[in-house]
Amino acid sequence: MPLLETRNLTKRFDGLAAVQSVDLTVEQGEIVGLIGPNGAGKTTCFNLLSGFLRPTAGTIRFDGEDITGLRSHRIVGRGLVRTFQLTTLFQEMTVLENVLVGLHLHSRRGLRPALLSRRPFPRDELDRAREVLEFGGLSAHVEQPAKNLPHGHQRILGIAMALAARPRLLLLDEPVTGMNLDESGRVMALVKTIRDRGTTILLVEHNMKAVMGTCERVVVLNFGQKLAEGTPAEVSTNPKVIEAYLGAELEHARG
Amino acid sequence: MRFVAPAVLVVVLGLALLVPLLGDYYIHVFALVFTNVILAASLRPSLTCGQLNIGHSAFMCLGAYTSALLAKHYAVPFELSLLSGALLATVVGLAVGYPALRLRGVYFAMVTVAFVEVIRLIAAIWVPLTRGNSGLSGIPKPNLLGMTLATKASQYYLVVFLAAVTLLVLWKLERSRLGLTWRSIGMADHLAQSLGVNIATHKLLAFMVGCFFAGVAGAFYAHFIRFLFPPEFGFLVATNILVYNFVGGRGHFVGPIVGAVFLSLLSEPFRGSAYETIFFSIAMLLTILFLPGGIITLPGKLSGLRWGRAASAPTPSPAG
Repeated sequence: MPLLETRNLTKRFDGLAAVQSVDLTVEQGEIVGLIGPNGAGKTTCFNLLSGFLRPTAGTIRFDGEDITGLRSHRIVGRGLVRTFQLTTLFQEMTVLENVLVGLHLHSRRGLRPALLSRRPFPRDELDRAREVLEFGGLSAHVEQPAKNLPHGHQRILGIAMALAARPRLLLLDEPVTGMNLDESGRVMALVKTIRDRGTTILLVEHNMKAVMGTCERVVVLNFGQKLAEGTPAEVSTNPKVIEAYLGAELEHARG
Repeated sequence: MRFVAPAVLVVVLGLALLVPLLGDYYIHVFALVFTNVILAASLRPSLTCGQLNIGHSAFMCLGAYTSALLAKHYAVPFELSLLSGALLATVVGLAVGYPALRLRGVYFAMVTVAFVEVIRLIAAIWVPLTRGNSGLSGIPKPNLLGMTLATKASQYYLVVFLAAVTLLVLWKLERSRLGLTWRSIGMADHLAQSLGVNIATHKLLAFMVGCFFAGVAGAFYAHFIRFLFPPEFGFLVATNILVYNFVGGRGHFVGPIVGAVFLSLLSEPFRGSAYETIFFSIAMLLTILFLPGGIITLPGKLSGLRWGRAASAPTPSPAG
């Protein structure tokens, strides 16, 4: 049984199909890449999977259960956690606080512990947050405001926050876009380590080198539809995929 | 830094205990200051969640009338009538907040404005219960643990105590995980949601906590002034509570407290007159223009100026 399975996943905005009849499967333990030219529907796909948008049609099954139309915080509770493009962080909070928010579902929360416990956060939650930060190599920045981190570290913090929510499937939206070679190499190594520790990964990325070097399977979207699927080698030699990318570039060149 | 806020609060409360030495007029003024402190501080959870709530005085009104009517007609002791007023405000907060908190930004603000006017009108129109715009008089003095607090000074100590408890509870909440969650919603609600935060329930909880303490403030006010008049709970009072928060500063727990104390004392000569509104408008404008972070950022700005001057001398200007 696949960990994630969509059937006929469709999203229309005022008649325009951003995602159309996409069947997508992700097996336990895989690293799958979702690629395609700009506007192909990748981010819409992520928004559908994570419950930020409701599909117009189709079903999403996670670990055998139908999660179509569940509210996003419920989906996180099932173990499907996403990150956002660019640096979406709680900018004014410290790095540690950012990760503590990530621990939300695995914390003591509500009015009673807030009023009755002497410490704001139990020691095990703080330990867990520090552990996640250490894993991401951010231990030196624990008490800094998130906004003061360099760009690369901010992106890793975004992933660390998602990890704190204990995902079984992690959706990464452009984890290395805008990074230099060195930074992106480090992030992709981190992604592999996350997978090796038991978290399945589905990622959207424009950086082809990163996708081809990390993903075991690649799904190509174009105009909201699945164009091709296969190993990185298969996909990169697929004439339809080449045409889609070149076509997009040609149109881009023509302006 | 962690101990600054509690230290400031302890000092302020310590000084507050000395106020009765100044005489009845000051007791009266400072009792109202502390009522405003409760109102201002209890609006903060909602603001932290990013909800612009311009309806706080409605919940004060509910607490005030509930407590006053229970005490007047049924001789309910103050501790019970206060609690009933606060709980009724909370329940109404739940009923209003549940649908309204689904709205964002200015739409939510508009609902709260409308709600203030609805409550004020109900108080004005439901004459058999509230005496309407003739005002509700004959409210007994607070009767606590079987004793009537007859003197103004004892009533003043009562409100200081209520404010202290309110601030302690709100402070505990703010620095707990609940406070962190509220902040996360205010900063980036979609990100909070993506980490499993149920933003609807957390906003509702923040709103209801505020309603409870607004009810507490209202109940005290009713038994202190002993006369309730619907226009005193209108839209302008609600905006004043908001202005306390903005002028004091939204970046720290002490912001609304500083704002409430500062503005209540400064506006005291204009209380009840048309100049009060002008005063609050000017205070708000000056804050937006010159101190966007509120009064609490003033010390930092002043020391920043001094540092800036010292540091600017050796630094070559980029234009040169």
